[in-house]
Amino acid sequence: MEKEEQDRNMHILRTGVLSPVKRWSAKWSLWPCHFVTSCCGVELAHAFASGFDGERLGTLNMGISRQANFIIVEGTITRKMARALRIVWEQMPDPKFVNVIGACGQRGGIFWNSYNITRPSDIVPVDFFIPGCPVTPESLLRGVRAVQDKIALGKDETTIKFKKVALPSEVGQGSTIPTSPKRFAPTPLVKVDIPREVDWDFGSTTVNNLKSQLEGLYKSITITDKNRIAIKTAPENLMEVARKLSDNMGIDHTKSVNVVDVPHEQKFILEYMASSYSNNDLMPVIITLFTDIERKAEPEFPSITPLWDSADYSEREMHDFFGIKYEGNAGMNAKFLLAPETQTPLRKDFKLDEENYVFDDSPLNPKIDLPSSLEMPAPTDLYDEAEANDEFIILVGPHHTGSGHLRWILRIKGDIIVDVTPDPGYVHRSMEKIAENRLYIQNVPLFERANISDPFNMNLGYVHAIEKALSIEVPERAKYIRTLLAELSRIGAFFYDSGIFSLFTGHSTGFMYVWAIREMILEATVRMTGSRCSPSFIIPGGVRRDISKDVLDMTGNFTSAVNKRLKKFEDILINNPVFIARTKGVGVVTKQEAIKYGLVGPFLRASGVDYDIRKVEPYEVYDQLNWEVTTGDAGDCLGRYMGRYEEIKQSLSILKQTVDALKRMPRGDVISEEVLGEYKEASEDIKGHLYHAYGNLVLPKGEWTSVIESARGTLLYSIISDGDSNVPYRVRIVTPCWMNLRGIVEASKGERVADFWTIYGSFGYFPPEADR
Amino acid sequence: MQEVINELLETMMSNQVSVPVIQPVIDMAAQMPMVGLGISFILWTPIFALLICPGLSTLGIFLLFFPWIERKLCARIQWRVGPREIVPWLGGLIQLLADTLRFLFQEVIVHKDAHRPYFLQFAFLSFAAALLPLLFINAGDVIAIASPYGVQLLLALVCLFPLFILGLGWASNSRFAFIGSVREAFMYFAYEIPFIIAVLAMVILFGTSNPILIPDKWGIILNPIAAFTFFVGAAMATSRMPFEIPEADQEVAAGPHVEYSGIAFGLIYVMCYEKAYILSTLMVVLFLGGGSGPDIPGLTVHLGDLMGIVWFLLKVIIVMTTMFVLRTIYPRYRLDQGLTIGWGAMIAISLVALAWSIVFVFMQQGGVL
Repeated sequence: MEKEEQDRNMHILRTGVLSPVKRWSAKWSLWPCHFVTSCCGVELAHAFASGFDGERLGTLNMGISRQANFIIVEGTITRKMARALRIVWEQMPDPKFVNVIGACGQRGGIFWNSYNITRPSDIVPVDFFIPGCPVTPESLLRGVRAVQDKIALGKDETTIKFKKVALPSEVGQGSTIPTSPKRFAPTPLVKVDIPREVDWDFGSTTVNNLKSQLEGLYKSITITDKNRIAIKTAPENLMEVARKLSDNMGIDHTKSVNVVDVPHEQKFILEYMASSYSNNDLMPVIITLFTDIERKAEPEFPSITPLWDSADYSEREMHDFFGIKYEGNAGMNAKFLLAPETQTPLRKDFKLDEENYVFDDSPLNPKIDLPSSLEMPAPTDLYDEAEANDEFIILVGPHHTGSGHLRWILRIKGDIIVDVTPDPGYVHRSMEKIAENRLYIQNVPLFERANISDPFNMNLGYVHAIEKALSIEVPERAKYIRTLLAELSRIGAFFYDSGIFSLFTGHSTGFMYVWAIREMILEATVRMTGSRCSPSFIIPGGVRRDISKDVLDMTGNFTSAVNKRLKKFEDILINNPVFIARTKGVGVVTKQEAIKYGLVGPFLRASGVDYDIRKVEPYEVYDQLNWEVTTGDAGDCLGRYMGRYEEIKQSLSILKQTVDALKRMPRGDVISEEVLGEYKEASEDIKGHLYHAYGNLVLPKGEWTSVIESARGTLLYSIISDGDSNVPYRVRIVTPCWMNLRGIVEASKGERVADFWTIYGSFGYFPPEADR
Repeated sequence: MQEVINELLETMMSNQVSVPVIQPVIDMAAQMPMVGLGISFILWTPIFALLICPGLSTLGIFLLFFPWIERKLCARIQWRVGPREIVPWLGGLIQLLADTLRFLFQEVIVHKDAHRPYFLQFAFLSFAAALLPLLFINAGDVIAIASPYGVQLLLALVCLFPLFILGLGWASNSRFAFIGSVREAFMYFAYEIPFIIAVLAMVILFGTSNPILIPDKWGIILNPIAAFTFFVGAAMATSRMPFEIPEADQEVAAGPHVEYSGIAFGLIYVMCYEKAYILSTLMVVLFLGGGSGPDIPGLTVHLGDLMGIVWFLLKVIIVMTTMFVLRTIYPRYRLDQGLTIGWGAMIAISLVALAWSIVFVFMQQGGVL
């Protein structure tokens, strides 16, 4: 199929009298269709922004498929996105060309055994493949050049030809990467409430308090870690317990909804992790309310959304993953994240292809069935309802210059939005399922790809959970480095979101300016870690290696460079009267609504809630540095954006302080010796000993939850280990964008159509992070 | 019969564009039988205005180079370079040629739901609508039809553009095209009235609406308020930021343009540049002194009529560049904000401009000015 389709496009160009003219014009006028499909999209944006300027080659990024003749397919094509990709490709006029970038585009990359991916070469005919994870902008442009050569000169290559180079290697002959075999315990002990002795007085008082309040309704209340309490109830009592917690103790939101499949005990463990924004003493505490239900084909359980609406979308996610029907949740009829054909993938009887060990030669090539139908209809009852009410439905995305990688179904009456239905899952790369099949250390790069515009925070959260479990104390120098990296990441993500926000309001200069600043951040990242946006630098016990003094100097200079340019940035974007007219008073989210819908991060703070995990439950060295939390009370788009802007100024100050502290400190260990074991020589640089030290990491049994403040809000990781396997039993990751999705939906109702994009931009929604 | 032909030849030869520097070449060509007639025909002022300047050829050259100027200028403002690699030593000058040729050889998709006749006709006929207003504007002393109602006719013919855009959106029969067309219709009514009032103010000021008879005074100094209103109205008319509302790329996915591909898209894509060109020529005639300019010794005498054309084009380029630079400065307004500006602030300002003109004329007639 594809070979003749592919040849047809080249054939059109090569035949006829005017063939040289056709080839010349097609070569110099390759307009890529603006179709962002996955995490490589960040680097695609860099390739066409002011750092690398893809427009030099004549490629103008045009958002409409009819007017483009080129698609750059980035990265992971999930089952839902496959339909979109095929439809977009078919909409384009002949002759058209396709570039696939990223490792995921070739054989699945790091997600090779996911249940939700397809191979782009099965869906559209591909002209050129570019490897990389993510691709650097230079190689992306090289790929465009390659297609140009293919058109003009008829070169018949589909990927870069690699040259074999003999590098001197220190490791001995016949060396292979030492990886421990993965050990899955045959009957794992899965308990989420293993008690732990911690020095936490407030915890004991709270537990006694809870015991007296919940008389007869609970089965056990355990302290599992500092600031973590687990309450076990019977299924019929869960709602009552939740209500009592909400009324008496001010627990007003859930941070996570989780389900654990324990097939050898014929049960599901349902968990709700709740906390409080109103009760200051309880702010750092996460109370895990859990119960066991019978493991059936379609278990039912009453939804907790009447009480805590913030659990809505997470419950739908659990319905997709495990098949549990939450009665009372409106979204139980259709799949939310997954494609319609995928059935309950996170259950333990749904097995992914296993990696063969490195010593084996078999290729990693799982069989992938393509979606049988290309239909991606919106629910028909929506159309009927809209018809009855004289409303108009528009489907925005995933191929739309202003939609990101998901679909929004807008119901409009005139110019006013009546309802927004999100259709996420187009970038769902099944990280939670893959994580159950990999060693703990192999999951560090996996979770980082949730958000490569904010990679260090993604690393940090996961590593914190492991360090909590193993009670590892990180060296002081590593803590400062981690803080530095986390703040760098935060600033980078802010500038990313600013650029996208500018683009949504039509301001391409705003986009270019902040992207140029972001290039500086990525340069700093490259010098420190070696990779632009996927470094996997933070590992359990510390960081991979120390940062040298000249790089620290450069980072210090970088902060002053950014500070100088902030004034210009304000003139371009923030003080722009049109920008202020578009954002002021638009999409107001009140404090009660923000708490009710589960908003997190700077968007919660802009609505008046003073909650920043770096102050509430300080980690790394945030409590030793001098900085302020920014809150606002407007709750509109301008307020959310300005709140983040002020936060970035604080971040720059933190960055400066950490750089100065690191320069003053003597050089020392950056990896904790507890985790290194007998490889103590690696304490300043893990090179050569990564798998030696971490390959056989086993976490003690129980559930280990960490929360950190990433760029867009609360990032929660929850690892359940059975104490025996060296792979996790279950990893739950709740990203801030996933929690903020509801905020966009609710803030848009009643606003004008054009405000939808302003609200979308102001929430800094990043679909790969939300879909994981 | 012979008298008719003689009379036609008489009208043609009496109304030639005079360019002294190439006169010897013309005299030499006039010796040859058919070539002489052809050259005289082209140099006949109305045909010259229609085909060369300010008509077809100049419009074509502008359409070929102005998007390049825009892209390079915007790129430079944005810390980038813009199109370059196609001809590196010229800075990518012929980028638009490659784009146009690529459009030409691309498939024109007419989707099933489209109303096929209108879908194609509106796209291809829009180019003709661009030429009609140009018949009534003068570049220096060169004009096609010098009518006492020239300015009004030009304005009336420019109204064809929104009609075409509405037709495009309607024929596309697609959701986003529908929303884009509705927005275009709304915005058109919002900007047209203040725009007409501003032009009216200048007509009152100059006392004539025949473009040839408009004196070479700089209207921008005489009535800056009318100039400002005209400029903003022109920005709204050509969908320049901050008023790029009907074709908001990130909101309605290019509105009426969404279903067009190939050469049909090429023609529609340049429609806004055509409109900008026409409105810029009007702005130059009304506000920037038309084809007048300082006397360059040696050059003015030799170029004759061409000098007026050169000044005219220079001013048009300046006006168009200013309009296009706006897109790097402002994001875009929302539809209701654009409408509020059009129906509210703009009408008020244009009425002030009208009053200014009337007062100005009274003071002139009363001998004060």
